[in-house]
Amino acid sequence: MTLDPVDYAIISQAIIAAAREMGAKLVRSAFSTVLREARDGSAALLDAKGNTIAQAELIPMQLGTIGHIFQPCARLYPIESLEEDDFFAINDPYSGGQHLQDVFLFHPIFFGGKVIGFSASVAHHLDLGGGSPGLNPHAADVYAEGLIIPPMKWNMKRDWHGGNFERLLRANVRVPHQTMGDFDAQMAANAIGAARLRELAARYGADKLTAVMAALQDYSEARMRAAISRVPDGVYHGEDMVDDDGISEAPLPVRVAVTVKGDTIALDFAGTAPQVGTNLNAPFASTISAALSAVKAALTSPDIPFNAGAARPVSISAPHGSLLNPRHPAPVRARMEACFRAWNATMKALSLAVPGQVMAPGFDTTTVGVLSHLGPDGWSVYLEIYGGGLGATAESDGCDAVDGPLSNCSNTPVEALDQDFSFFRVLEYSLRADSAGDGAHRGGLGFLRRFEIIRDDVQIALYSDRFRHAPQGLFGGAPGSTGYCEILRGGETIRLKSKDKAPLRKGDIVTIAVGGGAGYGDPALRSAALRAADRADGAVTALQNA
Amino acid sequence: MRVGIEVGGTFTDIVAVDGSRVEVAKVPSTPHSPDIGAYAAIGAAGIAAADIADLVHGSTVATNAILERKGARIAFVTSQGFRDILFLQRHDRRNIYDLRYAKPAPPVARRDCFEVPERVDGAGNIILPLDETSIRGALIPALAAGNYDAVAICLLSAYAAPDHERRLRALIAEALPGLRIACSHAVAREFREFERASTTALSAYVQPVIDRYLDRFEATLAAAGFAGHFSVMQSNGGRLPAVAMRQTAITALFSGPAAGVVGAIRQAARSGRGNLITFDMGGTSTDVSLVVDGEAAMAPETEIDGLPIRTPVLDIVSVGAGGGSLVWIDDGGMLRVGPRSAGAIPGPACYGRGGTEPTVTDAHLVRGTIRADAFLGGAMTLDVAAAHAAFAPIAARLGTDIQGAAAAAIRLAVANIVRAMQLVSTERGRDPRDYALLPFGGAGPLLAAEIADELGVREILVPPNPGVISALGLLSADFMKAIGVTRRTALDAAAPGVLREIFARFQQEATAEFRALGLEGALDFALTADMRFVGQAFEIPVDIDPAELPNLTPTGLAAAFTAAHHRVYFHGGEPGRRVEIVGLRCTIRRRLEALPEFRERPTSLVRPAGVTVRVGAADVTAALRDAAGLAAGESVAGPALIEGYSSSIWVPPGWRAERDPNGNILMRGAAA
Repeated sequence: MTLDPVDYAIISQAIIAAAREMGAKLVRSAFSTVLREARDGSAALLDAKGNTIAQAELIPMQLGTIGHIFQPCARLYPIESLEEDDFFAINDPYSGGQHLQDVFLFHPIFFGGKVIGFSASVAHHLDLGGGSPGLNPHAADVYAEGLIIPPMKWNMKRDWHGGNFERLLRANVRVPHQTMGDFDAQMAANAIGAARLRELAARYGADKLTAVMAALQDYSEARMRAAISRVPDGVYHGEDMVDDDGISEAPLPVRVAVTVKGDTIALDFAGTAPQVGTNLNAPFASTISAALSAVKAALTSPDIPFNAGAARPVSISAPHGSLLNPRHPAPVRARMEACFRAWNATMKALSLAVPGQVMAPGFDTTTVGVLSHLGPDGWSVYLEIYGGGLGATAESDGCDAVDGPLSNCSNTPVEALDQDFSFFRVLEYSLRADSAGDGAHRGGLGFLRRFEIIRDDVQIALYSDRFRHAPQGLFGGAPGSTGYCEILRGGETIRLKSKDKAPLRKGDIVTIAVGGGAGYGDPALRSAALRAADRADGAVTALQNA
Repeated sequence: MRVGIEVGGTFTDIVAVDGSRVEVAKVPSTPHSPDIGAYAAIGAAGIAAADIADLVHGSTVATNAILERKGARIAFVTSQGFRDILFLQRHDRRNIYDLRYAKPAPPVARRDCFEVPERVDGAGNIILPLDETSIRGALIPALAAGNYDAVAICLLSAYAAPDHERRLRALIAEALPGLRIACSHAVAREFREFERASTTALSAYVQPVIDRYLDRFEATLAAAGFAGHFSVMQSNGGRLPAVAMRQTAITALFSGPAAGVVGAIRQAARSGRGNLITFDMGGTSTDVSLVVDGEAAMAPETEIDGLPIRTPVLDIVSVGAGGGSLVWIDDGGMLRVGPRSAGAIPGPACYGRGGTEPTVTDAHLVRGTIRADAFLGGAMTLDVAAAHAAFAPIAARLGTDIQGAAAAAIRLAVANIVRAMQLVSTERGRDPRDYALLPFGGAGPLLAAEIADELGVREILVPPNPGVISALGLLSADFMKAIGVTRRTALDAAAPGVLREIFARFQQEATAEFRALGLEGALDFALTADMRFVGQAFEIPVDIDPAELPNLTPTGLAAAFTAAHHRVYFHGGEPGRRVEIVGLRCTIRRRLEALPEFRERPTSLVRPAGVTVRVGAADVTAALRDAAGLAAGESVAGPALIEGYSSSIWVPPGWRAERDPNGNILMRGAAA
């Protein structure tokens, strides 16, 4: 059908608003700190074939591939066979998912007896079983990382609220009150998305709605192609590395060749390190998400809806058996580190083509720190996600102390932790002076959180990166800085590795510190006024700068 | 005589009411010194300062001080280990794909942030005593050396246990008596340290600016013979005597939009309407709010320039759709309206001030719902040819004619406002069809019927002089103070007792405060409990009638909460889920006696009998009426254009407009 441009504009904006409402309500009705405070979840609306139309802009990493993760479900359970109240669930990284903690739910949206689309949500669940609470840094395979949900079809009436699927989940998680509450929030977000899409179908007709869904993908595709066309044709190489696999000390290189040709772009991660025995492998869906996010962020204006159309001009490949496309059953819990290096490598490659549009490497690492305690009332699990300083750009200093570009988690307020946990206390939360790389524009500062452990029988588990190798600057900018985790016990300082786990005692002081971003451009070009302000504010200490 | 003066970005509005006398005027604002424009408005309304018994003022002084970072020079003091709260913020980004992202800049530099050794936990236990030696030896000399206008204090857990903040304030006040001090427990007694610290810092930042402004304004008025009561409007929809406002300057932010909602509610109440969706459409944006039973919805927090402010405010959603919003086509070929605006300079193309891009106002001119020689009561003649020319490129891109392009722009502007209305209604579990639309502002009544059609709303109430409703809201605002208190309590048998105790204390303290301000007469109280399921982080407000406090039961409260949760989130009643109260919001209010009648200000234009307006694909002849000439009981069938002093009403075919006995114009659609 031909689509009136005004109908198109109005309906497409309404679809985007519905996706945004889904995301807002997912977070606001959630029960765990990781979803409600850190906002580690996302939501989207899909067309009747499962192509992403519009998303709530929460976590870039989860947004890139919701549509890809849908497809394995639809292959197993054809869309025509679905009934009202059916839904799909999946978290299996080897069937198209990311890591087990991210459980994707897809609900078909029926109108006039036909499926007109799907509502989708994903949440990072605080605990999904596995070898230790919240995070098992020593998992040798994906089985040790938690409950695996292959592509499955369930039914709300039969399998939820006391039904099969809910009982299976509840029996496998350590903090059911929070985890099951978060699942309910996901279900509700999907119900809201479905209600809004049905309202639009009733108001404008299902045919017109379907036409708009197609047009909105074409729209994102057109804007993406226009942006790629402005990049000079050529093959550009970029590289960065993950510190180590958590056992050996050898760095794991991540390499990309970016080929720009007309209005298409291809990213090939050949030359990247082979997969490892620890949880640093990134499932291919995660690699796609990271690479797409880098291309979109560098080349396009931020207001382009990130949907299936935006991905059409981009092709991505990574060798099977590599860090970015591992073979089953390699563990994948800490996939973000390799994904961030894929982002950094892509940015570096693009810096050779469009130097003004990229960002220097930042700390760009997901640091997950989990403190847990088993008391008489069961497990108490505190998970916090730490970003770092962002890299600088041609026009701006890197942002201080913020989540990395592929993620967007909030911190948990210290006063909320004070209310919710009684086995530790936050002693300090501060910016790290001198942690940013100098440059015409400097990187963002890193930060630290320091905890006092006030009970015995507490554990810490963490994964992080850039404890050994700081992010390197662009065009003469200086490197950022590394992070660390240390335990002060009596007079002794115990340094943990970037992927580690340790028992803690009452009185221990634990510090988790993340680094700053690298600079962009020759430091000699930095303005005297900015330098003076940094000194006065203690971002750079006088001693260092003298 | 009662007078409201509202200083906006472009215009300063005045409404003066005395018995049957109503004066209304609009004069240009004077941003460098807003009191000059305000004083000029009094002259324009033809009244004498000495005749004013009650003056209520709203201004953008506090808002502008923050937006332009022209507030006071302040220091920030917090607990040891947390100096960087204001810079760490919440560790998130507002725009996830923006590589040049910068956090909202706090109103204080890091070099002016200080720590004091002390720590109290959330239960009020002292972990580390307040180190007075360090305060005397290090902090106070640093504050003295810094030459600050004000200091903001926010210690961890002070929302629950404010003793350390109080002691610290006393020590600073003793050593540095001239320094203004804002304490977090007094400004925003709620948990989440960054939001409370931000509120406290912003409060300290605007306090001296407001003080100086009110000093100057009061002096000017006094010199002119003013001897009446002087009050200032707040963002919660109530006013406070100017003297009290100097203590809580932060509540003066966004008072203009709040005043508009109050004016709308007061005017609708005359016609017996209490369930409203109000919308104030001006030059650059539209403010939307939901009113239930004559009370505007409140929100626990707002933000300015990205910085959170934790204080109860009227829940107003703003979208970038105003008369000056630009109509454009993006690089993906999609037609867009706003959020960019042509502003006052150059303004819409039809203003003839150099603007070439089309705006919503130009679209009205093209379709005929604004007349070129009747703009602002005829004070300004618009350039029709320029409006047509501005739409030509859009028409070419869309493959339509100029009229088609203008109609498309209007439909999109309507859709933008409809989405804001869905945000305050549908998304909060309310059906917009249960409400009447109340449009105001210069551009609101022109689009109201088309918005109502989109939402399925069948009734529209247009107040007299829609362009100055904010100023009417000022002089009709109650005296009011609203506070939030964090007090986490499980919803068990003891909970009602806790609520009764907190409310009784508020009632006692607030009553004493109001009496000390000279506010006599009956006082009303309102109470809202912010509740959630145990484990959640965001609360849902549940209103509690203070008269019902003695009979309150945990089960009744839980049921009210669960129903509210279900309405908004589509889930909530799962078995085994415990409920808790996180905090309370308490309001005290001294209501105003009934207002005198409000009538249209006449215009002196000579009008033809009809005007040609494009409706769909056809030109129709619409009746043209003077709003002031529409007598009570008289009705007009659409198509009709009803022109007033500050704005016009478009009555499309199928709609009918009637002046009701209470002075408002009631519009009903075909299906009503």
